Amino acid sequence: MDVIAVHVDRCVGCKTCELACAVERGSEGKTLLSAVREAPQPQARVRVEGAGGVSFAIQCRHCADAPCLDACLTGALARDAESGLVRVNDDRCIGCWTCVMFCPYGVIFPWPERKLALKCDRCMHMESSACVDSCPTQALEIVNVEKLADAYAEKRRSAAMAASGIGIDGAVHLDLGK
Amino acid sequence: MGRADYDLVVVGGGAAGLNAAFSCRQRFPDKRVLLIDRESEVGYYRTLLPMFMAGNLNEDKLFFWKSGDDENLDTRLGVQVRSLDRAAKCLTLDTGETIGYARLVLACGGYPIVPPVFERAVTPEGVFPVRGLSVAREIKDWLPQRRDIVVLGGGLVGSKTSVFLRLAGFNVTLVEKEAHILPTVLSADTARPLQRHLENMGVQVKTETTIDQFKADADGAVSSVHLATGEWLPCGTFLVGIGSTPDLAFLDGTGLVEDGELVVSPTLQTHDPEIFGVGDAIYIRVAGGDKHNPWTWPQAVNQGKLAGANAFLDSPMPLKRTTRVNAQNIAGVPIMILGGPGVGSSIEARPGPGDGVWREFFMHEGCIVGGALVGDISGAGPLHFTMAGGADVSETTDELLKPRTRAFGALAWTSLGQARRANIISAKGS
Ligand SMILES: Cc1cc2nc3c(=O)[nH]c(=O)nc-3n(C[C@H](O)[C@H](O)[C@H](O)COP(=O)(O)OP(=O)(O)OC[C@H]3O[C@@H](n4cnc5c(N)ncnc54)[C@H](O)[C@@H]3O)c2cc1C
Ligand code: SF4
Ligand code: SF4
Repeated sequence: MDVIAVHVDRCVGCKTCELACAVERGSEGKTLLSAVREAPQPQARVRVEGAGGVSFAIQCRHCADAPCLDACLTGALARDAESGLVRVNDDRCIGCWTCVMFCPYGVIFPWPERKLALKCDRCMHMESSACVDSCPTQALEIVNVEKLADAYAEKRRSAAMAASGIGIDGAVHLDLGK
Repeated sequence: MGRADYDLVVVGGGAAGLNAAFSCRQRFPDKRVLLIDRESEVGYYRTLLPMFMAGNLNEDKLFFWKSGDDENLDTRLGVQVRSLDRAAKCLTLDTGETIGYARLVLACGGYPIVPPVFERAVTPEGVFPVRGLSVAREIKDWLPQRRDIVVLGGGLVGSKTSVFLRLAGFNVTLVEKEAHILPTVLSADTARPLQRHLENMGVQVKTETTIDQFKADADGAVSSVHLATGEWLPCGTFLVGIGSTPDLAFLDGTGLVEDGELVVSPTLQTHDPEIFGVGDAIYIRVAGGDKHNPWTWPQAVNQGKLAGANAFLDSPMPLKRTTRVNAQNIAGVPIMILGGPGVGSSIEARPGPGDGVWREFFMHEGCIVGGALVGDISGAGPLHFTMAGGADVSETTDELLKPRTRAFGALAWTSLGQARRANIISAKGS
């Protein structure tokens, strides 16, 4: 499965990805100029997080054992059989926000004006992902989860000492930090 | 009559029972599973019934499964389990048939408690429990002619039902015997803005009272109900949404029920290790001896999945989370319930800004053990898992209570090791 991952060392926290996502995926007009005038205001599915001088963009990880899927009250959240990605079927979503509460990463966003839960689907029906394309420092990249996991395991092996304090947390723990 | 034998028999085809059946079939593909339910239809979202009753949901959106898709998953619908014989490892149905099992999952859910006033007299027409699809269909057909509705029970089901019916234009009065709505999960302070919101929507809320009399019209249908506080309410439809009490009569004499409760271990086993219990029907005995039941849809799904996967394991796995976490969107006001106050917990709260926003935590030894977010639910997901993980947040409590907090940001870079949250290819300084 291919997911979006981040080079934290390249992310400068400029939020260009947020803007690109909101315009490309949330707006009717698809241009920044028209998007800012739209009501309800377009929302992004990626958010830039950070504190203490470190920032990074974060979006859905499409967890192997996704708590949000078990929580959805209506079947709106479902895994796409072909791509393995977790997505919201807008037609079924009633905006109850139960899934928001069940995503440990805080990457499902309520969009009250449309009564829709908003989350990243990697722009699966487009040629490429808006946030990845827009990042001025190329901090975002589409990577294969399994390969990233392998790379992570390799890095851990070679730096067993440095890995202290960080454990494997769930099936798609891909942190190459430390 | 002959006896049919199955590897796994599931009693109850709600969220918990169906997920138990699915996960057993997936985990142990050679096992034959039978699902029994006294309703004639299963595989629907019970959580959508208020919307459906109000006429705001197409029936095709109600269902997620129809029987017949899997030849090794049989169903017996419209039949009730009458008794269980543990020694012979079989169930008896109301049809007289017996069904043998190697493993059994009890997922019989709960049912609202109809107030005694209706039991003593002959129940008039127009009185319905809010629980299943067949009754929800009756309610849906009944409502248009009887638009004055009284909903009994200001818990989750009653409040949610009132909101959807009000949104559909009905006249709704919600009656709750405690001092405020959602009394088991919210403090009075948190409930206040929510209650005000309901009232602004046009739902009449009557607290600290209950129904003690009713009148029926010439057609034998309920026409008004009387409150113990001395007031007659016009009422063409009376909906019971209180409680979720399991009907465990079929377990009489099995020794599985203690003081009226079906209690299971964290691996969801009763004290007969071949018999599991899941969902609204059970209590889980958690560490420290406390009994706990979340009674929510996500928990029912989770427990069902686990019981199905545990059914044929030599060392079954314990349930990961037992949090009573729940979310509602009450006509534009989002609420997140993190759980009720535990014994000995203190309250940390932060009102506003503005009317209708209230964030509060129940804290115990630096850890969040419950609480609620009303009007502003930012950071809810990370907060839930921080609570479930039992992390000490005494340093960041203020930060987390702040409206529009990005709990993620506030929690990041603490001892919780939040840096692992993103798919990180290369870290700072690497
Ligand atoms: C109107 C309504 C709205 C709700 N909204 C929410 C919400 O927004 N969020 C949330 O988290 N939760 C909500 N809930 C709660 C949630 O739906 C339940 O916690 C969940 O459905 C419990 O699932 P279960 O499988 O344990 O029980 P149930 O779904 O009740 O299933 C039990 C099944 O067992 C069958 N049965 C019982 N006894 C027998 C017997 N002897 N023989 C044969 N069959 C039997 C019953 O017919 C029933 O189909 C709501 C509930 C209701 C009623
Ligand atoms: S929304 Fe959250 S819980 Fe669901 S798959 Fe994505 S990261 Fe996992
Ligand atoms: S907000 Fe939508 S996707 Fe999320 S749980 Fe509710 S219905 Fe499902």
